[in-house]
Amino acid sequence: MKKEKSQNGNGIALEEPLLKASKYPRHIQMVMKGNYAAAEAARLCRAGFIPAYPITPQTTIVERLSELVAEGKIDATYINMDSEHSVFAAAMGAAIGGERVFTATAGQGLFYAHEVLQAIAHFRLPMVVCNVGRPSIPWNIWSDQSDSLSQRDTGWIQFYGESSQEVLDTIIQAYVLTEKVRIPVLVVLDAFYQSHTSENVWVPGQNLVDRFLPPIQPGPMTLDIKHPRSFGGLLPPEHYNRMNYSFWKAMNEVENKAEEIATDFGAHFGRPYSNVEAVNIGPQTKLVLVTLSSITTTARGVIRDYPEIGLLKLRLFKPFPKEAVRRALAPLSGDALIAIVERNFLGDNEGAIMQEMKRALYGASYKMYDFFAGTGGKDVPPVTIEKIIHRAFHQPEEANWIDVG
Amino acid sequence: MKPALEFLIKDEKVYSGALSCRGCGWSLLVRHLASILGEDSVYVVPASCFSIISGPYPLSELKSNLVHTVFAAAPATATGVRAALDRQGKEDATVVILAGDGGTFDIGLQALSGAAARNENILYVVNNNGAYMNTGIQSSTATPYGAVTTTNPGKGFKRAWPKDLMGIIAAHNLPYAATASLAFLEDLRKKVEKAKNTRGFRLLMIDGPCPPGHKTDPAQSIHIGRMAVETRLFPLFEVERQHYTINYRPEKNIPVEECLKYQGRFKQLFKPENRQMIEEVQAHTDQYWVRLEALERM
Repeated sequence: MKKEKSQNGNGIALEEPLLKASKYPRHIQMVMKGNYAAAEAARLCRAGFIPAYPITPQTTIVERLSELVAEGKIDATYINMDSEHSVFAAAMGAAIGGERVFTATAGQGLFYAHEVLQAIAHFRLPMVVCNVGRPSIPWNIWSDQSDSLSQRDTGWIQFYGESSQEVLDTIIQAYVLTEKVRIPVLVVLDAFYQSHTSENVWVPGQNLVDRFLPPIQPGPMTLDIKHPRSFGGLLPPEHYNRMNYSFWKAMNEVENKAEEIATDFGAHFGRPYSNVEAVNIGPQTKLVLVTLSSITTTARGVIRDYPEIGLLKLRLFKPFPKEAVRRALAPLSGDALIAIVERNFLGDNEGAIMQEMKRALYGASYKMYDFFAGTGGKDVPPVTIEKIIHRAFHQPEEANWIDVG
Repeated sequence: MKPALEFLIKDEKVYSGALSCRGCGWSLLVRHLASILGEDSVYVVPASCFSIISGPYPLSELKSNLVHTVFAAAPATATGVRAALDRQGKEDATVVILAGDGGTFDIGLQALSGAAARNENILYVVNNNGAYMNTGIQSSTATPYGAVTTTNPGKGFKRAWPKDLMGIIAAHNLPYAATASLAFLEDLRKKVEKAKNTRGFRLLMIDGPCPPGHKTDPAQSIHIGRMAVETRLFPLFEVERQHYTINYRPEKNIPVEECLKYQGRFKQLFKPENRQMIEEVQAHTDQYWVRLEALERM
């Protein structure tokens, strides 16, 4: 009874009669990979400038966008650049020029662009970039968050998506946020587990997105031919310090603004989001798993069998949602354990999430344990999550490696 | 002789107060560029002496927009600015890169090659003063053979030949590329006009006087620039696609040392034990000229 038709070879759309009865009005349900969901989001957001450079596992995002431009399906200027450094430098130029910018990168590409990430953030330019996380040399193209987490101090906002749906929805929210606070946003998805895995995605209609995300407006750092200025010239110490003060104030408002936008998104699209998500966290909870991205889905499945285990998913990572984390954990009893699942290694005893959690929970009495699991793309199946739970209850170290042969 | 009352610049498009050293070529160059390109241009500047000369925040020497960008990627930033202007119907505004030789020959070469190969509608102006002057005279791959810099000091003076940037640029099959000198202002202005009226990627390489870096008398900047052209150390030519045109043929065969002798950075070449290096510079210069003439005939 379910007739299916192919759409551009990238997704399967359901027939019209089923749409009417659909879960989300004015959406089309499609089966698509995470990378196509990201490209689809850029299309829906009417990105006007897309500089591109290939890197696995991001490549199919920019390939898809180049196709959409070639077919005239989006009105964007798409340029094949000579490196990721140039991609970000071009993104910076077009953002100063007042265009809505989108691109995607991964691992080495993000590392290579580090210098320009700093410049874009300090210019306070709005843009959304998708990063498909992978680590550095020795060559490895698999899922790992060391790339984006090592860029957490460049001044970019960072979101991590749990599913293809969340990636698509977060990119739409990220444009509203970036154009409001004038701070660039990185939306991260997992290599292969998300980027190349097909899932059900509800794709909103263009009108729905247009109502939520109006056209980009000029900001304080937008170039105007008739009112010439110098952008980024030598900034003496007092001015530099004052610039950072104003950046700091803006960054402090991001957590609330992101939450408002996520709630508003729910009202428009029927799928509410929040900066963090608490599952089964109450006075009875003995242990809380803390996760980012697709590992969250695995953990959700596991905790169904463990009524005393809760889950804290971080969707906004930078700025770290300290208040929301504290609120989410507030119902816990004082002797509850916190087990953090890290898919990153940043050269320290603790992983990136643990560092941030300690910062957020300074002075609290929870016992926190860090679990490195799944760097370099190593799978984190339910049994690994169960091992983490077991170890957390039985003589854990402060930092632990799980499943290291 | 009657004094010249015709000024080349009729309408200044820069403010006074450029922060250049005495005898620097940058401010003179930018005055001429700006007077031709007009106020509706957008200048993109990677790290270079001009980052400083144009003025610290909130000052600006230019009556146009100026975007400062990272050292390695001015052509990429300019690509983004160009795309934004085009999308907004401002195709007539010129996007101009003002870069030094370090930002062009070395760290920015890849982005330059990328933008050139894409034939972006951008004018690239490189003020080649033959070293990283802004950071205090360190060698670049544009630094001439035999020159002393702070990273090729004393007896460790440079013994490698500078890159042939114009050759690299010509290999990109561009609509317009040319060399120009501040000692030949009418030729320079003609080339800026031509570049302005050409679409696609254009590059002008200017011989940049730098008294602190070249160890020269600031009052001699223009004279030394003239001698660089007269001795054929800095030939004036244009490349349009594959076609070369030499714009100035010195009447006399003036030896290169007539230009080198004014520059303290070459003084070690005049010591008896190094004299043969001047002959090497002469031979290299002669060969380059022969090659240019051959290219022009093709």
